[in-house]
Amino acid sequence: MSRNITRRTVLKSGAATFAAATMAPAILRAADDINVGSLTPNTGGGGPFGPKITASHKRVVELVNSQGGVLGRQINLTQENSETNPESAVRAADKLINVNGVIGILGTWSSSVTLGIMPKCQEAGVIQMCTSSSADIPVRDEKGLVFNFQALSPVWGRAIASLALRRGFNTFNLMALNNDFTRSMMDGFVEIVGADKVMIDPFYYNGNQSSYRSEVSQLIESNPDAVFIPSYVTDFTAVYKEIFRQGYEGQVITVSISTGSKFKEAVGEAANGIIHGLPVPPISSEAYRQYVEEAELEQMDGVQHPFGTAGRDQMSTLLLAVEKAGTTDTAQVAKAMWDVTTGEGKKTVYNITDGLAAIRAGEEINYSGASSSVEFDAEGMVLGRDFQLAEIKGGADVVIERLEY
Amino acid sequence: MNMQLFVNGIVNAALIAPPAIAFSLLFGVMRFPNFAIGGYITAGAFAAYAFNVQLGLPLLASAVAAMALTGFIVWLSDIIVFKPMRGHGPVTLLVVSIALTLILEHIIRIIYSAEVRGFDIPLQRPVKFAGIRITYEQMDIIALALAVAVATHLLLRFTNIGKAMRATADNPVLAEVRGINTGLVIGFTWLFCGALFGLTGVLAGLDLVIEPLLGWNLTIPIFAAAILGGIGSPYGAMLGAVMVGMAEELTVLVLPSSYKVGVGFMIIAVLLLARPHGLLGQPEIRK
Repeated sequence: MSRNITRRTVLKSGAATFAAATMAPAILRAADDINVGSLTPNTGGGGPFGPKITASHKRVVELVNSQGGVLGRQINLTQENSETNPESAVRAADKLINVNGVIGILGTWSSSVTLGIMPKCQEAGVIQMCTSSSADIPVRDEKGLVFNFQALSPVWGRAIASLALRRGFNTFNLMALNNDFTRSMMDGFVEIVGADKVMIDPFYYNGNQSSYRSEVSQLIESNPDAVFIPSYVTDFTAVYKEIFRQGYEGQVITVSISTGSKFKEAVGEAANGIIHGLPVPPISSEAYRQYVEEAELEQMDGVQHPFGTAGRDQMSTLLLAVEKAGTTDTAQVAKAMWDVTTGEGKKTVYNITDGLAAIRAGEEINYSGASSSVEFDAEGMVLGRDFQLAEIKGGADVVIERLEY
Repeated sequence: MNMQLFVNGIVNAALIAPPAIAFSLLFGVMRFPNFAIGGYITAGAFAAYAFNVQLGLPLLASAVAAMALTGFIVWLSDIIVFKPMRGHGPVTLLVVSIALTLILEHIIRIIYSAEVRGFDIPLQRPVKFAGIRITYEQMDIIALALAVAVATHLLLRFTNIGKAMRATADNPVLAEVRGINTGLVIGFTWLFCGALFGLTGVLAGLDLVIEPLLGWNLTIPIFAAAILGGIGSPYGAMLGAVMVGMAEELTVLVLPSSYKVGVGFMIIAVLLLARPHGLLGQPEIRK
C-alpha cells in the first residue's frame, strides 16, 4: 500500500494533533470540573486588598478539592486581575465566561468593576459575588444572581454618623469625591445627623485635580465641629494635606480605606487625630478566629481583614450552595445561596468542611462567616456587618467605637 | 473667603507658571506641543522622592538632584524619541509625546506601584494674618516661581545662549546660517526645560501627593496657561498661569466645584475665539 505524504496532509495531521493536545484537557475539564472565576483588584486602587481575596478563594478551593470536591467534582479556579479598572475587568470577565465557562465570578471590589461586568454576567447567567458598596448594585441585578458581601454605602454613612454623634460633635460640613459610592454615603450620613446640623450644602470634588485649595476653603470656612470626607486614598491624601495647611483644627472624619499605611507614611505625624470608619469582620466570632489561623495572620487590634475574610465567605457559600442545589445550574445555585446562609433554626457552621458534611447528612445549615454573619436580604445584599470607628494615634489605628450586628 | 481664594489662586499660579514657561520655551524652539510634560513632572517628583526618602538626602539637595536628573531624562527623551523624528509634522510629534508620557508613567508605576507617597518633611500649619492663611512652604513656592520667571527673562534677554534660543525659535535656518550651533541650543533648551519640569515635580509633590498620575493632573492647566499666554511666549505663559490659577479657584464662587476642572478648557476656548494667538503670542506668518 502506498501512501503519499504531502505537505497538506502533514499540516492537517499536525493541526489535528495540536488541537487534540490543547483542547482535550479543556473539554475534559469542562465535563468534570466545576469552573469558578476569581476576579480581584490585584493592582490599582484595590491593590492592597485584592491579593488577600485571591488567597482566600484559593485556600477554600484547595481544601475542598483535597476533600473530594463538591458533588463529586473537582473545582477548577481561574484567577484574573481586574486592575481595579472596569475596562480591564470586562475583558477578564469575557474570558472567564466564554473561555473558562465559569458558573460564578467572585471577588470584585470596586463598584464600577462590579457594575461594569454585570451586563455580561447577567446575559450569561453567571453568579457574581462582590464587596462593593454602590446602591445601584441590587437595582441592576435583574436576575437575582448577585451577592454582595459588603454593606452598601448608605449603611456606611449612617454607621459613621451614629458613631460621630456619640463623640459629641454638633455641627458638620461634608464634601466627597464625586462618585456613586461616596454620594450615597453622604446621604446616609446626613440622614442620621440631621440636615440642620450640616452647615453648608454637601458638595463634591473630582479626583485627579491640580489643586483642592478652593474646596477645602469652602469646607472649613464656617468652622464646623467636624468634617466628613468620603474618598479614596489618592484624593484624600491631597485633600487632607490642604486641610492641615489651611489650619483647620476641628475633627476630620473619613473612611478607613483612605487612611491605610501609605497615607500615614505620606502625611507623617499630621495624620494623628483623624477618625475613620469601615465595616469590619466580627472579630470575636469563631469563623474569624479560623480565618486568622488559616491565613496564618496575626490578630491585630486596629487593622483587620475586611476583604480577605469576605473572599473566604464568598467561595465557601458558593460551593455550599452548589452542594445544596445538587447542580451547577446557576439559577438554582443562586436560590440555594439563601438556604445555606440565611434564616433561623438551622445548624450554624463556620467553615466549608463542616458545612458540606452537614448538607450531606441532610441537615439544614446557616453559614456564619469570617467577614460577617452572612445573612442576605431578598436582593442578595448582606444584611449587617460590624462597623468600627478608629482614631489615628501615634501613627497607628486605635479602635474607639464599635457597632455590632 | 474671597481673599483666601485669591491667595489660593496665586499659589496655584506659582505651581503652574514654571512648567508653563518651560512648555512654551520648548514649543518655541521645537515647534510642537510636547504633551510628555506630565511624564517629565512625575519623573521629577519620583526622582526627588528617591533622593529624599530612599537615600535620606535633605529636601533641598534632593530637589537640586531631581532637577538635574529630570533635565537629563528630558534631554535623553529628545535624543532617543524626538531627534530621529525631526522631519515629521507637529501632529505626529504631539501624538508621540502623548505616547512618551504614558510610557514614562508606566515605567514609574512598575518601579513604585500606584501607592501614594510624600516627602520626608512634616506638614506645616499656616501663618494667619488679615483672615488669610498661608504656609511658609507656599510662600517658598511663590518665591521660586518668581525667581524662575526672572531668571528665564534674564537668560533670554542678556545671555548669549538665551539670545541664540530666541534666534533659533524665530528662524532656525537663518540662525544656523548666522553661525549659531542650533544643535547645542536645542540640547540646552531640553536640559533647561527638563530642570524646570523637575522643579515642578518637587513642588507638586509637596503640594499634592506623589503618585504616577501627578504630572498628568497638572498637564491641562499648564497647557491652558501656555496657550492662553500665547504659545511660544514665556512671558505670556507667566501671565496665563496667573489667569488659569485664579480662574480655577474663583470658579467656586459661581459654580459647583465639580465643574472646576472644565474651567481650563472654557478659558482656552473663549480666549482663543477672541485672540487666536493668545494674550502675548505673535501671529505666525505663513509663507
